[in-house]
Formats: sequence, structure tokens, C-alpha cells
Amino acid sequence: MMSELLVQDAGPLTTIQDLGRPGHLRVGIPASGPMDREAFLLANRLVGNPDTAAGLECTLIGPRVEFTDERLVAIAGADTAPTVNGAPVPAWQGLRVHAGDVLRLGPARSGVRGYLAIAGGIETPPVLGSRATYVRGRLGGLEGRALRKGDRLPLGPVGAARPHRLHPDRVPAYGGEPELAVVLGPQDDRFTPRGIAALFEGPYEMLPQSDRMGARLKGPFIEHTRGHDIISDGVPLGAIQVIGEGQPIVLLADRQSTGGYTKIGTICSFHVGRIAQVKPGGRLHFRRVTVAEAHAMLRQSLRALDGAIE
Amino acid sequence: MTIWSEPRFLPCGDRALSVELGDEITRDINARILALEYLIHQKRLPGVGETVPSYRALLVYYDPLVVGYAELTATLGGLLAEARPEVLPPVRTVELPCGYGGELGFELEAAAAKLGLAPDEVARQHAGADYYVYFVGFTPGLPYMTGMPERLTIPRLTNPRLKTPPGSVSIGGVQCCIYSVESPGGFWVLGRTPVRLYDPTAPDPILLRAGDHVRFRPIDRAEYDAIAAEVDAGRYAPRIAGPATTR
Repeated sequence: MMSELLVQDAGPLTTIQDLGRPGHLRVGIPASGPMDREAFLLANRLVGNPDTAAGLECTLIGPRVEFTDERLVAIAGADTAPTVNGAPVPAWQGLRVHAGDVLRLGPARSGVRGYLAIAGGIETPPVLGSRATYVRGRLGGLEGRALRKGDRLPLGPVGAARPHRLHPDRVPAYGGEPELAVVLGPQDDRFTPRGIAALFEGPYEMLPQSDRMGARLKGPFIEHTRGHDIISDGVPLGAIQVIGEGQPIVLLADRQSTGGYTKIGTICSFHVGRIAQVKPGGRLHFRRVTVAEAHAMLRQSLRALDGAIE
Repeated sequence: MTIWSEPRFLPCGDRALSVELGDEITRDINARILALEYLIHQKRLPGVGETVPSYRALLVYYDPLVVGYAELTATLGGLLAEARPEVLPPVRTVELPCGYGGELGFELEAAAAKLGLAPDEVARQHAGADYYVYFVGFTPGLPYMTGMPERLTIPRLTNPRLKTPPGSVSIGGVQCCIYSVESPGGFWVLGRTPVRLYDPTAPDPILLRAGDHVRFRPIDRAEYDAIAAEVDAGRYAPRIAGPATTR
């Protein structure tokens, strides 16, 4: 019998993701991939998967899935109070499930994006080299869409991996107000000193209209020097775009590839995942760093990630 | 509006930077952007990832564990000396059939009234021009083009539409664009092409590339429907002059 993951209930927005399909932004196709890359990577590593294996990303409310054979799974990201056959199970560690077991990820008690990694990975057909789902472009994943009740996802073969677990002191807490490192630019020269000061003073509140394209924020008014229009240019991941009302939109995994609004700064790659875990109504802060500081922080975060699993 | 004597390098976080060559929309500047992008990939610069060309800027992703910011900007600065249009591969011209007016070009009459021209004359002038694709983006496969006769310059819609059908051929300012997926829009829709600019089910989902030329061939509704049926059946390929391979 083919190994499958049976979707009994999908939740509002559960998609197949892997590390994404970089290389096509130049023709308007975003890389997609997990909104919280760090949590996604850790989930894969907890079951002994390569980083490139595909898993599930859920949003605020998790799915209920049934397994057809024995394998390791791990839950990471948002705290979704997971259960297997109704009994609570821990997140952030490899768990063994058996044929017929039903895993449920509930409503997120903290955080927004939850991840489910399954040993062997989900093996839907790759599109442009990736299984990541880009819903707006109807690309990748399962038929380019969010999962639905009744979907059956093919799973890859499993090896003899043993379960791992995250160091308990490395389990992220999503409840607070994260401070995100920001490098100014590319259009910081289009903002007044007062506008730039406002950004770093904050705090900014997450608005409910946020999605995989972008996080809409509300907070102190960010003042332009002369309007918010620019000659359209490329939009990097984590770009903080400031529109007419002086309010920021942070552009994320499924963002438009180019845009005609001023971008005051860019959230560093190692902090982009944190914004994905801020609930609507939650608050966050920005901290100014130089490119050199950002690179030092990146090295540190990669080392921490590599040492996070025991 | 200027072309800068020196490129501007602007940080975009810890993993990307933007190279700007000016602050105007000209074919000259854009050709240098595309040439720089071409050379970057041809020379396989260590640590450089994906690139996103636009009118006058190139977004360059890099891996700071392989190449530092200062080193990369120095390399790119050196490469710019070679970044002339001549290094680019020969251009392609893609012919797109377009049904003007009626249901397909539902704003042709309003645009014509705004321009003080007859609808047929707007369609004739629009279809008679050669369009240049500066870059492709915003949504998958959407070309940003100029090339229209000056007489068709028109302010954008004051109230953008919430939904524009894919394939809509539309104008705003001096620009012409073709919507690639259903999306909001502020350009006047003059017509529609049955050809898919973005087809997520195709091995290569994107039709147009930066640097391409586009020509529109006016078709009537019957031909539009016939071509649309061929497209649905996966049997239609638009006529492309020049090298067949994309870059």
C-alpha cells in the first residue's frame, strides 16, 4: 500500500511547503516556502529529514491528519496543543506515529504558523524544482491550492532515523513583542529623520489583513520627504514598504516581485520568521542594524540553529 | 530625471542589494541593467543568487557567508564597465493576437473618448506599435512595456478595478501591460489576448522575458474564441521571431 497522509480536516489555510523555489522572482514568481523558515527547518531536522523535505504549514488553526504507516513526525512553530488520538503530545521533538493514528493540531495558543514535518517528506510532484505552494499563482503543492478535507498526500520512504528533540531552552516563545533587526534601505533617503525615528520607536501592531504576501502593520506615522511613489523596482524578502498613510507593510514569502512604493528598510533574513508568528493585535519593534552587524547576527543565528537539536 | 555617472549600491537587508543606474525610465538604462544581470549569471559570480531586473535597478541576492557586501559591490562595479546591450543575446519578438473592444476590451470606448479619438483609431494605433519589455513581474509573467504612440498617453484610472481578467491588454501613462492573472488594476483595458502569459501547468509557465519585443495582431471575436480553444487544448504556440530559447 502506498504511504499517505490523509487529511481529515484541513484548517483555514494549510499548505505544503518546502524551502521554496528561488530563481523565478525575475519573472514574477516568488520563492514561497515557509513563513517561519527556522521553525520549518527544525521540524525537518527533528525527524531526520533533509532540510529540503516538504511538510505542512498551517495558519492559526491546524489540520487533523491520519497516517497509513509507522513513521516519525514533529510539530514546530505555533503552539497548537497537538494531540495523537486525543492524547496531548509534545511539540519540538520527534514522535513515532503508527498506521491509523490521528494527529490533530488545534487553534494556536501562541504564534500563528505551525509546522508538521513527516519523516520521508510529502512527495507531491515538484514544480519548477519545488513542492512549495503558491496559492495566488496556483503553483506547486497539491494542485497549487490550500489543502482540503479528503486530500491524500503521498509520503516518501523512511529510513532508520531516530527521533531528536530541541534543547528545552531553545523553544521559542511567541507571546512577547519581538524586536526585529532592520537594515535601512533601499529608499531610506525618501524619508525624513522624523519618519525614520518613528519606525524605530514603534511599536507596530499586526493587522488582521496580513497574509503570506505581506504583514500590514499599524503604528507611529512614518513621514516621507516627497511622496511614496518610486519607479517600480524589485522587492526583497522582508522589505518594509511604506504607503501613502505612512504605515508599513512587510513583504513576505508570497510577495509581489516588484513594486512602486518606497521601501524604508528590510527586516534581516534571520528575523523574518518572527514576524510570521505575531498574531493580529500583537505588537513588534524594529531595531536598526548596519549591514556588517546583520551579517554577524546571521552567522550567530545559523550557529545557534545548528546547535539547537540534541 | 537623470542617469547617474556612478551606480548606486543600496542595501536590502542582510542578503540582497540593489544596483541603481538612474532615476528615469529609458531603454538605455534598462538595457544596461539587463546586460549586468546577464553577465552576473554568465560569469557565475560566487555567492550570487537570484536577480530581479526592473526599469533602472537590479536586485541582487547574495550569500554573505560566501561574499561580503563591499567585495560584491566592487565586483559589480567592475562588471558594469562591460554591461553594454551588445553582450545580450539576440532579441525575440513575440506576436500576440489581441481582440480589441467589446467585451474583451471593455474600456476601449471610454479610453477613446478620453483621448478624443475614435475607438477603431485607438485600436489601430495601439496594434501598430512595437513594444519593448523592460521587465516581467509584480504578478507572474506580467510584462512592463512601452512603445505606444505618444498620442495614446493617458492618465491611469482614478478608481482602480478590483478584478481584471488575465490576458487584458491595457494602457496607463506611457505604459502598456498585459495582466497575467486575475488582479486589481488601474490601466485602461483596450483588448484581450487569448494567449496565456502565465500558465502554472506548463513546464515553463512564463511566456515573456525582459528585453523581448511584443507586437499585437488584431483579431475578431471568432478568431479570439478559436485561439482560446486551441490554448485550452494545449495546441497553440504564439509566433516568436528570433531565438526560440528563452534566457
